[in-house]
Amino acid sequence: MNFAFTEEQDELRSTIRAFMEAKSSEEAVREQMETDAGFDADVWKQMAEQMGLQGMHIPEEYGGSGFGYVELGIVLEEMGRALLCAPFFSSVVLAANTLIHSGDEAAKAAHLPGIAAGTTIATLAFTEPSGRWDESGITMEATASGDGYTLTGTKSYVLDGHTADLILVAARTSAGVSLFAVDAGASGLERTALATMDQTRKQARLEFSSTPATLIGAEGAGWQVLETVLDLAAVGLAAEQVGGAQLVLEMAVQYAKDRVQFGRPIGSFQAIKHKCADMLLEVESAKSAAYYGLWCASEMNEELPSVASLAKAYCSEAYFHATAENIQIHGGIGFTWEHPAHLYFKRAKSSELLFGDPTYHREVLAKRIGI
Amino acid sequence: MKVIVCVKQIPDPALPGELDSATNTLKRDGKLILDESDSYGVEMALQLVDAAGGGEVALVSMAPNGEVSGLRTALAMGAAQGVLVSDPGLAGSDALTTAKVLAAAVQRLGGADLVLAGTESSDGYTGTVPEQMAEVLGLPSVTFAKSVAVEGGSLKVNRQTEAGYDEVTCPLPAVVSVTAGVVEPRYPSFKGIMAAKSKPVDTVTAADLGVTATGWDAAGQQITSVTQAPTREAGEVIEDDGEAHVKIVEFLEGLKVI
Repeated sequence: MNFAFTEEQDELRSTIRAFMEAKSSEEAVREQMETDAGFDADVWKQMAEQMGLQGMHIPEEYGGSGFGYVELGIVLEEMGRALLCAPFFSSVVLAANTLIHSGDEAAKAAHLPGIAAGTTIATLAFTEPSGRWDESGITMEATASGDGYTLTGTKSYVLDGHTADLILVAARTSAGVSLFAVDAGASGLERTALATMDQTRKQARLEFSSTPATLIGAEGAGWQVLETVLDLAAVGLAAEQVGGAQLVLEMAVQYAKDRVQFGRPIGSFQAIKHKCADMLLEVESAKSAAYYGLWCASEMNEELPSVASLAKAYCSEAYFHATAENIQIHGGIGFTWEHPAHLYFKRAKSSELLFGDPTYHREVLAKRIGI
Repeated sequence: MKVIVCVKQIPDPALPGELDSATNTLKRDGKLILDESDSYGVEMALQLVDAAGGGEVALVSMAPNGEVSGLRTALAMGAAQGVLVSDPGLAGSDALTTAKVLAAAVQRLGGADLVLAGTESSDGYTGTVPEQMAEVLGLPSVTFAKSVAVEGGSLKVNRQTEAGYDEVTCPLPAVVSVTAGVVEPRYPSFKGIMAAKSKPVDTVTAADLGVTATGWDAAGQQITSVTQAPTREAGEVIEDDGEAHVKIVEFLEGLKVI
């Protein structure tokens, strides 16, 4: 058995970590949190042009590098560690995967090269104000109109929805849930940035009013595609969560060693020591779940659906618990806005809820293993 | 245009280093990484080749145990090939021997239009190898370059000085040492990392280059003692009684910074 990353994957990780340390420092993160767009366009460009990150797992025939989901997971893990503020998850994980698995060659050829090059920022709009992540939550109607369709309704919690150039929308026709491509400049589209708790990842509400749209794939085949995309997104998010969890673990352990109280480092007290040990146990277990999920995603094997829900449920809880304990271990300073602990706490909370909370994924997991 | 860059592979400065008590030198038994100060030379070389519209960036390095990890990083950035000199007999070599070895490695690559190096390594800090290489190769040497350009077949260098910079014009070929921080070294893509694996690295010994591996015995330098750096002392706290600025000015004058 050898579960280790290859030498090249380790090199990729150290390269991404160095890049993140240079470009996504705490100062840079706080700066981007205050902006409307929520990301630095120069950093985004460098990620695409120099490092090819946006095209990492996009097939070569569509302008990407054609690497696997494990490599993409390493990138996501390091981005999570640094709380990178960028529309990477929305564009590369959600939108690109939707296109890749849509089976629509024309849509792939039209949109994937731009996403891979970073010149097109895309996102996926499927949740509605009901906040449901399953098929029944999709109620927006698509109406055939001439050669195309028009969409009317509201999508909410759309990652980077207010800045994306291309929006992939899930809506219903008489055949069922279908996928559509909508240009950001389309008529009847109104986009409003949401004031969310976690400003490291922006969200928006999108109002569609007879907005022209182009069908992707076949009518009624949308949910089948989305199911796969949401599994891939769950695994990608789990990798991101593991990166953040590892960082707060390191932060907490370092503080436990440095902070002296009653003449001893606080890490020597059992109450702190055990918290750190529990965090390590959970973070290591979360890594195992996330990495296994990445491998399943890379292979696109039959285990992916169950492992995706397993990884999402476990990594969500491990990350949130680690960020909460990190604040406790830091004591008073951990509660201040000046300290970065709350940035991770908020990211952990928003990620926990994204694509379904742990309870939802436990239910899905139970169904998927036949209970 | 052909540019050869001297790259040193050093122990990771992020890890606690260990000294060999017999020689007072850094232990280099583990994995070595590309010295960050050399990544600027690699970047500058890649930019010069791009600007010239074509050519090649090659690397020369001297390291123990056939270590290539740092070289692979530079190859991932875009260099095409490398020569690694790895020879137990070279352990303990002084700066001049290192310069002779690297000069011979440059010649093994058939020479170059330009040889770049960092001003000094991050682990040894002798800061003399590039200039000695130039002497051995019989080429002009320009030090502390903050920018390098090729115009009309000659080299235009802005050379960092304490007061600003000198504009230096120099014929090619030449050896130039570049300062850190002027260009941002590129971050390799995963494609680059994968491609680096199959790029040629010619591993040779001192004898292959016709250099006598003198090692410790004939080194013209010796590290006689090593002492711990003094621990940082607490700074002086000045209570502002309305005259604190005077004391700060006096302090800065004492440091001769104003």
